[in-house]
Amino acid sequence: MALKIFYIGLKDGFKEFGESVNKVVNAFLLSVTYLFGVGAVSLIARLQKRKLLDLKTSKSKETYYQGLMLSKKSKKEYYRQF
Amino acid sequence: MNILGISCFYHDAAACLVRDGNLIAAAEEERFTRKKHDSSFPINAVKYCLKEANLSINDIDYICFYEKPFLKFERLLYQHIQMFPYSLPTFIKSLPAWINEKLRVPKIIRKKLKYRGNVIFVDHHMAHAASSFLVSPFEEAAILTVDGVGEWTTTALGVGKGNDIVLLKDIRFPHSLGLLYSAITAYLGFSVNNSEYKVMGLSPYGDMNPKTNKYYAKLKEAIDVKEDGSYQFDMSYFVYHYKASMPSKRLCRLLDGPIRKAEAELTQRHKDIAAALQLVLEEVMTKMLNHLYSLTKMDNVVLAGGVALNSVYNGKILRNTSFKNIWIQPNATDGGTSIGAAYYCYNTILGNERNFVFNSPYLGPSYSDQEIKFYLEQNKIKYTAFKNDTELIKTTAKLIYDNHVVGWFQDRMEWGPRALGARSILSNPCNREMQEILNQKVKHREKFRPFAPVVCEDDALEYFECDKPIPEPTDYMLMVYPVKKQFRAKIPAVTHVDGSGRLQTIRKKQNPMYYSLIKEFGKLSGMPILINTSFNIRGEPIVCTPHDAYKCMMGTGIDYLVMGKYLMRREDNPQHMWDSEKIAKD
Repeated sequence: MALKIFYIGLKDGFKEFGESVNKVVNAFLLSVTYLFGVGAVSLIARLQKRKLLDLKTSKSKETYYQGLMLSKKSKKEYYRQF
Repeated sequence: MNILGISCFYHDAAACLVRDGNLIAAAEEERFTRKKHDSSFPINAVKYCLKEANLSINDIDYICFYEKPFLKFERLLYQHIQMFPYSLPTFIKSLPAWINEKLRVPKIIRKKLKYRGNVIFVDHHMAHAASSFLVSPFEEAAILTVDGVGEWTTTALGVGKGNDIVLLKDIRFPHSLGLLYSAITAYLGFSVNNSEYKVMGLSPYGDMNPKTNKYYAKLKEAIDVKEDGSYQFDMSYFVYHYKASMPSKRLCRLLDGPIRKAEAELTQRHKDIAAALQLVLEEVMTKMLNHLYSLTKMDNVVLAGGVALNSVYNGKILRNTSFKNIWIQPNATDGGTSIGAAYYCYNTILGNERNFVFNSPYLGPSYSDQEIKFYLEQNKIKYTAFKNDTELIKTTAKLIYDNHVVGWFQDRMEWGPRALGARSILSNPCNREMQEILNQKVKHREKFRPFAPVVCEDDALEYFECDKPIPEPTDYMLMVYPVKKQFRAKIPAVTHVDGSGRLQTIRKKQNPMYYSLIKEFGKLSGMPILINTSFNIRGEPIVCTPHDAYKCMMGTGIDYLVMGKYLMRREDNPQHMWDSEKIAKD
């Protein structure tokens, strides 16, 4: 019985340790991706003065609506995830 | 033809099954997993739908997903690129979920369901629009969808005619009326994507006069609203486009204080902020609906999206706009898009005739008297059996009249966030103390929140100042109307501080037993109205199975449970099983 409890504890401990290592590795790899991938694209966008999100209001605009005209498409379009 | 609609991986995962255009079954995953707003793949809800329709996964012709995941991911990347380097923590936190599941929807569907057929993807706001229009009683209608955010769209104006829907205009992320409501909900110390309705309930305690409520003017500094109802935010007041939290420090300064801590005291300032938010929402919605009317010139309007659950505003739409008829599906939020995706596929993509009108919210699992008896016997639960429905109704009405709190578990579970008489807690609205009793015994919820009345549809106009004819969404507790002045003192437990009630109307054909119970209570009390609140405790989903219901009764102060034709008394059974107060949470 004691051996079984020890084994279960050991197994859970290893699992927890594995998850912690996974989190650290993930965080490291994602940080690198963010810095060099997202960062580089962001820099290019800023140099080109491209605004990907509109973050300010504009009193001069008459409306904030954008034309959408979303209607039925061809059937194959719906198999796509985009 | 069998179509399975699915929504998941954001909040309120759900599934529904449409057979030859008829809605056979629909349920949210949270009811099975017992995790409130569960967003995980709705495997249990799918299994239930298949079982209800007596089908296997091989009988399904199409599985329809409620959004276009790659478009949503594009928006996410744009956010990170624009907000670099501030968005690093959310990038690290959110990306694994995208890589592991959100970008692999077809694979997950095939793996979890062992499905080899067609999987199609419907744009999120199109799924919202379809969830309301295609199952509405209208042949043509103007459509307004307003939620937090889909792929890019946060608000869409459109028109539906026959099988076709066209979304004409939209407002895009980060500008979102739904997210504004969530941001202020977070500011007021409540949980996002969960407690927005609490802020709505808090608003009448604040100053509802836009001329004297200073926070109304302050909120208008953060949001620019045009005459056509289009709006845009000054995003320096918000951080949700790059952080997990929502209000910015600038918003805190604007609203004269820091974010309220959960369970901290609610001051008049908080109440005035809630009122100001509701005023802003109502102003924007009215302008948008008037603009939509000018575009479409249609008498009918359908609404969808989380904001369409704002029942306080819904009750004002027909008075404040030129629309004559309104329809809202009971599960207007993301869970309901599973229905929208399925019907969009059946009616619009495949061109099948519309042959279904949504008129009953009872789409979830049911348990026969034999199944309930088996559960009671197996668990040695003490119970008595009613001889017939008449005895059941008379006894239950008397128990409620005698100020007992009764759990009511009958037939198929409701679809959507509201308990509508299948999984409800019922009590006496004429007792002034009942709100306090319910809060102490069962719900453990905030004192300011009112309880909802249920009234038979043919009695509603006598007690409430409803639109005429009474709009169908009232059947789903989606409209708030004033209680007539002469009755406010007679039903104090369901009359809110502003004299309103979030009533549910019930038609005999929808739920005959529930209808008869209310009528019977009326004979005893002179007021054919009951308190109807959801059969759960704070922080848990509404009960689904007999076990959930029994556990809820024993863990709370519910006095009696009427389950099928059986009656259980809490006092007769061991009461040490659970302590609901310990697990109650926001």
